[in-house]
Amino acid sequence: MPRPGFVLEVDRSTPSILFWRGENFSLEKLPAGRSRVIYPPEPLEALSDIDGAIRNALLNPIDQDPLATQMFPGMKLTIAFDDVSLPLPKMRRPDVRQRVIEAVLDTAAQAGVDDVHIIAALGLHRRMHEYEMRHALGDRVYDAFHGRGMLYQHDAEDHDNLSVIGTTDHGEVLEINKRAADSDLVVYVNINSVAMDGGWKSITTGLASYRCLSFHHNPETLENTKSLMGHRHQSALHTSVWRLGQVLKDHGPKIFQIETTLNTDMFPSPFEFINKREWEWTAKDRATFLGTTKSLNRTPIKLARKIFHGIEGPHQMTSVQAGETEAVHKITLEHVHRQQLMEVQGQTDILTLGIPFVSPYNPDGVMNPVLVMCMGLGYLFNMYRNKPLVREGGVVIMTHPCYRDFNPVHHPSYIDFFEQVLSDTTNPAEMSRKWEKQYAEDEWYRHLYRTGNAYHGVHPFYAWYWGAHGLKHAGKVIIVGGDPPTVRRLGFTPASTMDDAFEIASDVVGRSPTITHLHVPALLIADVQ
Amino acid sequence: MKNSAPTRLHSLGQLRRVVKVGDAASGAVRTALKPIRALGFPYRKPLVPKGLVVPADPSKLGANFDTGWARSSAAKAARAVVTNGPIRAFVKTVASPQVVGLDRLADLQRLNETPPVIFAPNHHSHVDTPLIITVVPEPWRSTLVVAAAADYFFDTRVKGTLAALTLNAFPIDREVTSRKSSDELRRLIDDGWSLVIYPEGGRSPDGWGQEFKGGAAYLANRTGVAVVPVFIDGTGSIYGKGMKRLKRGTTKIVFGSPLLPIEGESTRRFNARIEAAVTALGDEALTDFWTSRQRAAQGSNPKLTGPEYNGWRRQWALAEHRKLGRAGVRRRQTRRWPDLG
Amino acid sequence: MSRLVFSRKPARFALARVAGAIMPGAGASVGPLAIESDELLPLPTPDWVRLRPRLAGICGSDLALIDGTASAYFDPLVSYPFTPGHEVVADVLNADGSAGRRVALVPVLSCITRGIDPLCTACAAGQINLCERVAFGHLQPGLQSGFCSDTGGGWSHEMIAHPSQLVDLPADLSDEAAVLIEPTACAAHAAARYTGDETVILGAGTLGLLTLAAITARNGNRRGPIVVTARYAEQKRLAKELGADVVCTSDELPRWVRSSTKSLMIGDQLTCGARHVIDCVGSTESMKQALQVVAPGGEVQLVGMPSNVSLELTSLWHREVAIRGCYAYSHADFHTAIDIIRHHDLARLLSATYALSDYTDAIAHAASAGRRGAVKIAFDMRGN
Repeated sequence: MPRPGFVLEVDRSTPSILFWRGENFSLEKLPAGRSRVIYPPEPLEALSDIDGAIRNALLNPIDQDPLATQMFPGMKLTIAFDDVSLPLPKMRRPDVRQRVIEAVLDTAAQAGVDDVHIIAALGLHRRMHEYEMRHALGDRVYDAFHGRGMLYQHDAEDHDNLSVIGTTDHGEVLEINKRAADSDLVVYVNINSVAMDGGWKSITTGLASYRCLSFHHNPETLENTKSLMGHRHQSALHTSVWRLGQVLKDHGPKIFQIETTLNTDMFPSPFEFINKREWEWTAKDRATFLGTTKSLNRTPIKLARKIFHGIEGPHQMTSVQAGETEAVHKITLEHVHRQQLMEVQGQTDILTLGIPFVSPYNPDGVMNPVLVMCMGLGYLFNMYRNKPLVREGGVVIMTHPCYRDFNPVHHPSYIDFFEQVLSDTTNPAEMSRKWEKQYAEDEWYRHLYRTGNAYHGVHPFYAWYWGAHGLKHAGKVIIVGGDPPTVRRLGFTPASTMDDAFEIASDVVGRSPTITHLHVPALLIADVQ
Repeated sequence: MKNSAPTRLHSLGQLRRVVKVGDAASGAVRTALKPIRALGFPYRKPLVPKGLVVPADPSKLGANFDTGWARSSAAKAARAVVTNGPIRAFVKTVASPQVVGLDRLADLQRLNETPPVIFAPNHHSHVDTPLIITVVPEPWRSTLVVAAAADYFFDTRVKGTLAALTLNAFPIDREVTSRKSSDELRRLIDDGWSLVIYPEGGRSPDGWGQEFKGGAAYLANRTGVAVVPVFIDGTGSIYGKGMKRLKRGTTKIVFGSPLLPIEGESTRRFNARIEAAVTALGDEALTDFWTSRQRAAQGSNPKLTGPEYNGWRRQWALAEHRKLGRAGVRRRQTRRWPDLG
Repeated sequence: MSRLVFSRKPARFALARVAGAIMPGAGASVGPLAIESDELLPLPTPDWVRLRPRLAGICGSDLALIDGTASAYFDPLVSYPFTPGHEVVADVLNADGSAGRRVALVPVLSCITRGIDPLCTACAAGQINLCERVAFGHLQPGLQSGFCSDTGGGWSHEMIAHPSQLVDLPADLSDEAAVLIEPTACAAHAAARYTGDETVILGAGTLGLLTLAAITARNGNRRGPIVVTARYAEQKRLAKELGADVVCTSDELPRWVRSSTKSLMIGDQLTCGARHVIDCVGSTESMKQALQVVAPGGEVQLVGMPSNVSLELTSLWHREVAIRGCYAYSHADFHTAIDIIRHHDLARLLSATYALSDYTDAIAHAASAGRRGAVKIAFDMRGN
């Protein structure tokens, strides 16, 4: 029986707590009497008959006719799917997308549909490598469709293949992939790892253009998104997305939205100790942990990254629902909350976060310093509802080595962003005004995004804006264990140990601050009262 | 393998020496047996009294061959060594197998107690069995029993023992599944053993498949286990029926989704379902998933039994079909250009 | 009264080479440079004057000679033994030995100083830096005072000079400012080719900073940014102060030039680039980088003295790029230099001075100036 999340009040007998630190771990002792550790809810049971549940969802959708009746010979069918920025870490085969798409294709074959296009809805993310597509879709679908040119990745810079659907009353323009816009039916296959995703966000970001995204991917909107994972009505991002969704609903193609949720069983052996509470570690867990950290200390960083990015998580589907977008998303969120939501009383002065080796923007790549900020202040800081875990003006302390290391194939514009933009300013509004246009329109980045495997030129700005709310809210941000010049370039304060960090923080929060630590794997939503 | 020429005697002297040795040996044996010749029953077999008929012992060969010893843990351990060593190496060299579709079995593998299943492949060659027992994934590989034709594999003690030991074979009658063997098989399944049954009954005589018989469907219905359809492509060219020597080639094995027996479904219907599944897998192996699904929806997957006509056109069509197979891989790898118009 | 003398001692020269390779500036202590007592130099003609140096700077070419890294090209252009020092602020000595007017020395030993008449074509055109007769006439061979055995050099208490080599200094210009005139004149000569388009200056040592200063002192039309590569923090700060638009490390340079010129990349080569690249380093790496970031049809100006450089020239051929040398100055550049020094208050670039007797420390400091946060080092003879 999976246990719900719980908040541990740290006392003198509490053992050291496990922190992620990039491609390694550390154990930190938190001060007794004024610290608490938030343990996420344990992973739920997966569905027993996954394929059966999918078939059932297609046969009995919500607020829509069964999928089979919506298909007819000669129709233009487009299947769009979430790219491999999730789930993290990648799933064991067969991936959820493979299962759902095979089921949809079976239905399409039954209905005699010939014109099927399968599009990776990656928005401004990088194009996926062949092995990543094969992993997500399975070899059968890849081999059948890719060679025929019927399986491809959305290109937001191909202006001949974008079409404007309409404009909202706030002036936001909905511009999406032309093939999807012109289809008789668009089936969207989603994996809702976090509450931020799904619903109208799927198509209005995944198949959109830079012009369309800039209406809500900007500092002002994101500073008013409180939070990314919380109540939709408190998120300016989602409010804008929902407006665009209305335009999509009224003037766009017919959409059959299939949403799935996963449990949080993310780490296979030998990494199960990550999911467990420290005092419940068996002797084997402790030995594994010691062995792992010690050998990782001696492992060259490239090999350590390879090991971590090779992890295939045993997480599995906990629900699948299909049909009308908003009705489906409502149910999906219930399932996400069932797995992730937990109640936490009050805020503290300090929030400590262990930053892992991976974020949605570097699957199978290097976590560069810009993404450390994004993961810490963007994602982990925003794992809340109602109020942030740390009080306004409090201190956020993160642990990560912060190497000045970039993957030049995936993140070329991130390198320039770090060298040129961050040495000039770390303020989101100012960088947006001064630098964003140049990066968004640079021809070289555009070439690499369209033909290589690079994130769009403007993407580092979005990664930075993701943390804009956190930047504004926190009084100070400290990175423990990070390379000092790099940390300073990010605008943060470097510290070598956690105690040093508390010492530095005392300028802002005094000598006896209260501390919250978000325990790995930190896939949770803290409902802060 | 080098053909060693018969030993040639190089000289007459050598020949004389051999004859001398032979004579001496036979002389010695005759001398030794002399005392025994003098004795009678019970040292020597007695003569049957006139007019009486001795009832025949039930034959221990064929369908009655006892293979229980081959499933003991000692035999299992020995077989594991043989399967993972020489047999796997042999299969890799001779057949270079490409295995796809294993993700369809992932859900069963995930369960805490993986249930036994019945693998139902098409059958073109003796190479099929060593191939199957090396590519089936765990946990079924170590608990696999192969249903083999009683009249072919178990007609002599030596053959039967070898088959049981190396392949974990179990004798079944090809034409009529006797009550006894089907009960035995059910007992095996209940004990947790998985089966490999070739629904065609025997290897294809002309390179095309044969009609599926209902043995696998019948057993699955009675025991409730799933049937996993499997398509094996390419073994017919390696060591098909009637070929004298092995010819190295490439093979492709496609696993299909497990088919569960449906409450109230007749054996005949289930058998048809299995045959349709293997047919669709065959289409998928030679073309692709989408083509196969589209044709399956129309019921137009190319039949495994081949075209309706006989004679030279049937053979001609087989050659065309074989070109599409794994052996004709290079032809199929020509790039399909996307339609940009 | 002493002077530093660089003699012809091959064994010592070899030692200096080795020492210089291990630690820059170490050639001063083991090499053929030694301190000796002053010698009275005969005047070649009656109009020559005696000078008493006040301050004399240490230049990169001096360091190259002392550490044995200078090219063999110079062998026929110097005469041993000589006293180094060509960046000189001195007093002209009157007949009675008292100090007269204060001058800056134009060290080039062109036709007119060598008594050659008629002047060579270059001297006739006023381009004394390109004089053809620097090894002829009534003086021993020597490019400049400071490389010639007849004239003496700045690193001493007495040297001689031809009147054409003297530039009077205004009273309000300090010695410290004046010792920078000679290198600034080099920079002014280089900056004459500035077009206003995007310009890259490689290296922020003395030469790089002064070239930057010379360019920004002009009030011309700036159409593109000036990008300077600097390795050390002090250099970066000064470059920013002297008006560079972008200061970055040499690793970051290709990316900066790529984004500011909206260039694409083919392999490692930028497709567009800066029209004008000024190499103030003169090493193989800097030349390679210069070719990487220069625009097609652009010019690489080689201001830093190079020695033996190994270069892949295919991109130069393919993109029709020019490499042009830049040496010394004309008289006019000396006067421009004074304006530049005033405009930017360049006296602050003189980071330290040493007595002649401390010459090994001085040379070591000059050789590692960048790392030690210094720019120009000079000898100070005013105490005596």
